[in-house]
Amino acid sequence: MSPRIILIDSDQRRANDLSRTLFEAGFLDVTLVDPRRVPIDSVAGLKPDLIVMDMSLPDRDALESVRSLATNARGPIVVFSNEDDPAFVAEAIAAGVSSYNLAGVSSRDMRLILASAIAIYRRQANVESELAAATAALAERRLIERAKAALMARRKLSEPQAYRWLRNKAMNESRKIAEVAASVVAEIDAEAKPAKQDPDAP
Amino acid sequence: MSEDVKSPSVARATTNVARIGVLRLTDSAPAIVAHEFGFFADEGLDAKLSVEPSWANVADKLAHGALDAAVILPPLALAMALGLRGPTEPLIVPYCVSLGGNTITLRKDVATGLSRNAAGVVARLREIGAEATLGVVHDFSTHSLLLRYWLAAAGAIAERDYRLVVVPPARTVEALETARIVGFCAGAPWGEVARRAGAGSTVAHSDDVWQSAPEKCLAVRESFAAEAPDRMAGMLRALYRAAQFCDAPENSTYVAALLSRRRYVGVDSHAILSSLSGGPTGSNTSRFLKHAATFPWRSHALWFLAQMRRWGLISPDADLKAAARLYRPDLYAAALAPVGAPIPASDAKIEGEHREDWLLPASPAPIAMRADAFCDGALFDPASVA
Repeated sequence: MSPRIILIDSDQRRANDLSRTLFEAGFLDVTLVDPRRVPIDSVAGLKPDLIVMDMSLPDRDALESVRSLATNARGPIVVFSNEDDPAFVAEAIAAGVSSYNLAGVSSRDMRLILASAIAIYRRQANVESELAAATAALAERRLIERAKAALMARRKLSEPQAYRWLRNKAMNESRKIAEVAASVVAEIDAEAKPAKQDPDAP
Repeated sequence: MSEDVKSPSVARATTNVARIGVLRLTDSAPAIVAHEFGFFADEGLDAKLSVEPSWANVADKLAHGALDAAVILPPLALAMALGLRGPTEPLIVPYCVSLGGNTITLRKDVATGLSRNAAGVVARLREIGAEATLGVVHDFSTHSLLLRYWLAAAGAIAERDYRLVVVPPARTVEALETARIVGFCAGAPWGEVARRAGAGSTVAHSDDVWQSAPEKCLAVRESFAAEAPDRMAGMLRALYRAAQFCDAPENSTYVAALLSRRRYVGVDSHAILSSLSGGPTGSNTSRFLKHAATFPWRSHALWFLAQMRRWGLISPDADLKAAARLYRPDLYAAALAPVGAPIPASDAKIEGEHREDWLLPASPAPIAMRADAFCDGALFDPASVA
């Protein structure tokens, strides 16, 4: 019998990824719960064996209360606190995963399920930082394009010449090309808008 | 000093760090002010303030060493010490953060005519019947204990006369509107947020249950306190200095504006202002400094423990006196006497004795205290706890 697993996550895509991973590993009974739509008390009615939850949700306190009522235990059992491997626990906390062992899921299975969750939560964090880096790179690129266009118009340079001008200035002043481009663009903007007519000018 | 260390910046980063957890609440103010105004830095600390979404996160991170200290609910710190939640990580409470600040807020249509009227609230709950459900923020919370106390004094017992469920403060408006709960007890500013949203109306404050009721405390990992006593003392001094700032009515608008930032409480600054000393008179107020608000009274710890036992949250044979040793007034005195903070002459007092303002013997000067009476007129003698 496959243990009944509930994933509580308001990030639908991440929850889907994790349930697919678990499915492929042979855990067939996985239910997704979005805490913004479903009151957390109702989770107990689904009689799960294991709950895996996004730690950044405010609903953990409610879940722990329901759990301790449902099983009449003295307090919630946080799975990773029963693990004797502190590094694994630290990893789960850092990745933002918490989990509750409610019934008889073997510790081997649990570790596997949690390890998948940690990997997927961490991957998403990486994807987000990659996205931020890509957005920043795109913004820099736009800045350089604008600076090049301005230099081409004002100094009658070709595109490669304008780029070389920026690059040489950056090298001479040991700044990044994007920084040089930003100051070129700022200069042009300042000329285009005389300060006294610009209420937002510093 | 440590000029021979190859990379002083790295050495500083690893030796002066203090990781402190808070929640989105008005009484996180001293920690946030100490951080933003550089009071921790003035004590040589590299403070990392972490705004946590739930008490469960705070408890886990303290237990597993991802936080060194946290502004926490005293009953939760005591429950952790008793092993009722996760592993028993030794904690200490060398400092308290606030007095008062909670509201009992009912759905607007239910609250009519019930201001400060526990008997009326109980009658209204009886009319509603078995589905009368009230929300608190955590099982081991001051809110749960104060709400139970207030309603029990008027004859209603939780799980017999009404249901008690846990609802995160940020979801209370929604829970009132969808009729999952008829009311809740939570810390500021959430009662005011519900009132402003037109969902709820406040019928009582902490003071209506227990005047000058202790609210949040600072829990510190014992290992951190043992390995870095200077860092911990610096943390207390920075918080005390911030408490002086936060308690002054003329600073309340600054504090409210700072807390309203999205990274902190993230609600309208006027909702926060209403629970600060400079807010409207007669409103629910968190106190951060005056009336010995920061002193970790052993009698407070014992009151919480006795109430937790009363409601079956801890086992009848738990050793309450041993658990109360979590509170460390000695460490409070060691950190704060050098900066002139008045230190009470005793670690415990009879709670509920004063219906008027009074003077507490302390060194170097006595402390002006407020009334500390309970709503049912009871006296709590810490020496009577078995």
